[in-house]
Amino acid sequence: MNATYIQNSIAQFKTEIFMDVRHRTLQKYTGDPVLDENHLFYLLVPFLNGEQWQQEQREAAITVGIVYAALAAHDHIKEQDATSKEQQLTVLAGDFYSGRYYEVLAMSGNIGLIRNLSQGIAKRCEHQIKVYEAETQSVAQWFGSISCIESHLIAQFFELYAFEHYMPIVEKSLLLLRLEREWSTYQLGQVSLMSQVLEGSIQQANGTYNHVIQEKIVQLKAELVQLIHQATFLQDDIKQALYAHVEVSVASTNG
Amino acid sequence: MEKMRLKLLYSDLKSDIDIIERELEQALNSSSYLINDASLHLLQAGGKRIRPIFVLLGAKFGDYDIQKMKDVAVPVELIHMASLVHDDVIDDSDMRRGRPTVKSQWNNRVAMYTGDFIFARALEYMTKFDDLRIHQILARTMVEICNGEVIQIEDKFRLEQGLKDYFRRIKRKTALLISSSCELGAVAAGVDEKTTRHLKRFGYFVGMSFQIIDDVLDIVATDKELGKPAGSDLLQGNITLPILLLKDDPMMQPYLAKVFAGTLLETERQQMLEYVRQSSAIQQANRMSDHYLKKALKEIEALPKHPIKKKLRDVALFMGKRKF
Repeated sequence: MNATYIQNSIAQFKTEIFMDVRHRTLQKYTGDPVLDENHLFYLLVPFLNGEQWQQEQREAAITVGIVYAALAAHDHIKEQDATSKEQQLTVLAGDFYSGRYYEVLAMSGNIGLIRNLSQGIAKRCEHQIKVYEAETQSVAQWFGSISCIESHLIAQFFELYAFEHYMPIVEKSLLLLRLEREWSTYQLGQVSLMSQVLEGSIQQANGTYNHVIQEKIVQLKAELVQLIHQATFLQDDIKQALYAHVEVSVASTNG
Repeated sequence: MEKMRLKLLYSDLKSDIDIIERELEQALNSSSYLINDASLHLLQAGGKRIRPIFVLLGAKFGDYDIQKMKDVAVPVELIHMASLVHDDVIDDSDMRRGRPTVKSQWNNRVAMYTGDFIFARALEYMTKFDDLRIHQILARTMVEICNGEVIQIEDKFRLEQGLKDYFRRIKRKTALLISSSCELGAVAAGVDEKTTRHLKRFGYFVGMSFQIIDDVLDIVATDKELGKPAGSDLLQGNITLPILLLKDDPMMQPYLAKVFAGTLLETERQQMLEYVRQSSAIQQANRMSDHYLKKALKEIEALPKHPIKKKLRDVALFMGKRKF
């Protein structure tokens, strides 16, 4: 397996997700669903590693992708004044994708995944909304929230298909990639709400944003190298792909 | 007065409705205090709970057990609540049922996350059922409601539309979820196919009548009764039945032009509302609502003998004649 094979697998997977949520009007005004290729890569890691991956697992993974697209659509809604046609339809795009993931799983009878994903979505929302809560969290708690936002849906899918042993790697990798993205946008002066609250908690603990985030990135990288190295269930080529992935410092998205 | 009538109408279901209310509170319980606040805010705003009522009424024709039926009635109401939270973002509405909306009390993002949380809780509840048919009915309904809302946005500020467009829109916007509520109650209670079909059609016709009345009330009710400015639908660009019936009226056109340009003054809003109230459009719309109501009552006749038939009739008549 090489990088091209992985890229092709992700591209094919993405196409299948798009096919399942195709909607002429939504496509016209809001474009393709927003999908983070890092999420798709980690979602596909068991498949790329040669785990049992039948039609059921593939379809289930597609619905996880649809849920990510649904929640990403709603992340694009402005805090104030979402009255443009594009914003209004983005709200509905998210709702439509949510309806579609449920419909796909209801048609195939995968109630276990409906349960796991709905629980995962609820938990993710609880963490996403924390940036608006007056009560602040510790830096470690914010890292926990980010980790949940990034990887909990994948964890819910992995749990159903007994792929939990991949989760430590996936959790750390997605946290690392998100922190790198937050850090690089912060350097450009575009401070996200998450970086703002994180910075607030860091300052309360008498630290500086750059130092704490960089330190965490270094720590995560070191832990990941060790985890991947020790993972006997991983094939060598997938290990290489995982190493390569955490070396890429800026996540790529189509949104 | 109307609320009293509604309470009386539901009186013999009261203990079951109380169970649903408690379960709704339970379902919305979250580890996030902001979601809890927003949910409490929604619950306190109340609502007629007509969808859970229809679930229960549909189930009465079968093996009725409130402990089982609440697991359908609660998610149906949650889906309705979540869609209202998101609708308020789309419509930029600051008030609903006389209270600030989630998006105005906090912001759009909080409303999006709250709505998504409620949707998720609804589906989690539904997974207590293994019957795939139940999931398929609800899933198709959710997708169709979204399709209806997309069409509604496409049709906004578009006067070149006919009655067919309007009916297609309200079918998806309102009638489908009421129809599905009746159907879901019936399926969950193991009601036979034929009765389920009549209940589903009954819900559809009642839903159509209900939405037409809702659109009429948006014009004829007072700001206080509505808990938001009368004529809000039109101000947001939604062409409802009374307006559609008057779109070619020369007296109405200057008002419509100003509404579409966003230049309608408050005094002009009052004048416009008065003009529509006095016009034949309200009567025509009421007649169309009655037409659907009659169809709903006909479906009741086709149902097997059961004491709950009278209740279905009373609820349908109340909804078709309600004043709020």
